[in-house]
Amino acid sequence: MPAPAEREPRSLVELLHRRAAAQPHDTAYIVLADRGGEEATITFAELQRRAHALARRIAEAAPAGERALLLFPSGIEFIVALFGCFCAGVIAVPMMLPRRHGGRDASASIVADCTPRLILSTRRLIAGERGDLAARFAGAGLAWLASDDADGADDETTTRLADPSREDVALLQYTSGSTSAPKGVVVTHGNLLANLAMIRAAFGTMPRSTLVSWLPQYHDMGLVIHVLHAIYLGSRLVLISPVAFLQRPLNWLRAISNYRAEFSGAPNFAYELCANRYRAEQLSGLDLSCWRIAVNGAEPVRAGTIRRFTEAYAPHGFAAAAVYPAYGMAEATVLITAGGRGDGAAMRALSREGLQQHRAVPPENAEDTQIAVGCGRAAIGERIAIADPDSLRRLGPDEVGEVWAAGDNVASGYWSGREASAAAFGATLAGEGEPCWLRTGDLGFIDAAGELFITGRIKDVIIIRGVNHYPQDIEHTVETAHPGLAQHGAAAFATSDAAGAERLVIVQEVARAHRRAAAPDELTRLIRAAVVADHDIAPYAIALIRPGTLPKTTSGKIQRSLTRQLWLEGRLDVL
Amino acid sequence: MPATPVNEADIRDWCLACLERMIDYPAAPVDPNTSFAEMGLDSATSLYFIVELEEWLGRELEPEIVGDYPTVAQLARHLADGNNGAEDAGPG
Repeated sequence: MPAPAEREPRSLVELLHRRAAAQPHDTAYIVLADRGGEEATITFAELQRRAHALARRIAEAAPAGERALLLFPSGIEFIVALFGCFCAGVIAVPMMLPRRHGGRDASASIVADCTPRLILSTRRLIAGERGDLAARFAGAGLAWLASDDADGADDETTTRLADPSREDVALLQYTSGSTSAPKGVVVTHGNLLANLAMIRAAFGTMPRSTLVSWLPQYHDMGLVIHVLHAIYLGSRLVLISPVAFLQRPLNWLRAISNYRAEFSGAPNFAYELCANRYRAEQLSGLDLSCWRIAVNGAEPVRAGTIRRFTEAYAPHGFAAAAVYPAYGMAEATVLITAGGRGDGAAMRALSREGLQQHRAVPPENAEDTQIAVGCGRAAIGERIAIADPDSLRRLGPDEVGEVWAAGDNVASGYWSGREASAAAFGATLAGEGEPCWLRTGDLGFIDAAGELFITGRIKDVIIIRGVNHYPQDIEHTVETAHPGLAQHGAAAFATSDAAGAERLVIVQEVARAHRRAAAPDELTRLIRAAVVADHDIAPYAIALIRPGTLPKTTSGKIQRSLTRQLWLEGRLDVL
Repeated sequence: MPATPVNEADIRDWCLACLERMIDYPAAPVDPNTSFAEMGLDSATSLYFIVELEEWLGRELEPEIVGDYPTVAQLARHLADGNNGAEDAGPG
């Protein structure tokens, strides 16, 4: 007989409390060292004890509702700090750790946007291993707190811990928006719990499902689909650092095999990397038959990658039915659609030509064929619709339009400019009253069975290795790389390589007259170095063009898609 | 793994050959005195480069090493010094 349904917890604080009470000595998180072996583990009881102790220190430094930046390398300290914030009622702002040798990044804009009171980090980072961090955040009047400092008195009576309700804000997700204007999605405890219920139902995961993740913990896919999903289930999560994965991608698969993990997800590029780095001699004993749910999300899912990965690893027990494309975004906490457990990926042959005209029609011939991968159906409790982006009318099956989503997982807006948020988060379908829809900015269609296919995007964003990059940020970096480059004279856009992965192309006008003349080679070199430093992506191609020849509208707006078209056709006035 | 000890020129030549293979866009200069950033080495590519270099040298390297020694010439000099038993004291 099934156990009686457990009442849904009200907050992540209550969830942690339940886990610590029901299974105190079970291992919650395991961190693997970059060179192999277990580096650290923590049980549910220990997590709660440390989160409570840290929450008291946080509460002394900042009242409930204030923001705290979380600056951590991947690991357990981040998770302690996250729950420490929840238990103090302080809003957690997970952030990418700025690269030591990196250039401009979003950190200053994020500080300006959410005006945090605190920075939580580790003793090692604060004390000097990353001395550059103090300089980076100087001037904002922030107090630093090391999560791994002595816990202090575990006096349960001195400070009252928070007991958040579903409406209270748990965290801000800054994965959207440009560097200069970052957008912090306001995620409540209710949003998180609603999405976690959808995630569990969609994936069919259980307390005994071991999870593995190498994803950055500040990113919605790492944070919600792995770190919080695990504690929601009461299962254990094995963590690998993103650096360890990028260095040795097969370590990810090795961890899944060693821990008999059922669940692990990553963006498409990770599967591509594993397929490319396949080395039979390094894989003896690898058994992926335990891996029932291999989520593929956070960037476009490609049929070729799924095929190559499945072919390479089928001899090691990987089942095609485990391939699990999903679709979502931080504005919807994370997950919007996902397939059925064990169904594998739905694929459909479409006309490439038709897709360019935003129509989902059968291909004319083999040349014209593009295989679209389905991202599953709306999660339970979620609704999706396809809308004409201009008339806002609902479109029918197989008609391509903007993807809209509604559900308790959809956030109420961005931290700043909540009025501006209304357009994106509270849209109304023409002729249908409810102003509840999130406009995703992605293009796609829903087939007769309710499967969602993503075919393109309206929003100007370039996705490389699962990270969103905004063209205006890259253009700003490019224009300021040398005085011989024209201001407001750059266009950044993506093209696809043969396998369908996005790569960055930059087109830049040289200035009409500049005193410090520089050879095109020199300018190209400086542009490439500046883009790598500021954005950590290597431009695939850089085209320098004559002054005044970058396509712009009559009002002076850069026409990125026209520039892209001209670049592809070789019709730009290149120096 | 190379016959030890390798000298600075060996390391430099090996790095340049490896980067030639790894950098897959047209017109990127692979040169001992061009910075890794100017060659277009993002962090993902540089991590893979370091892994290859580790395997060839037969010793572990810190992922940040290409930031600390930002050209092939500087990196090769530093690694050759390391082979002679010098301390990892950082640049300069």
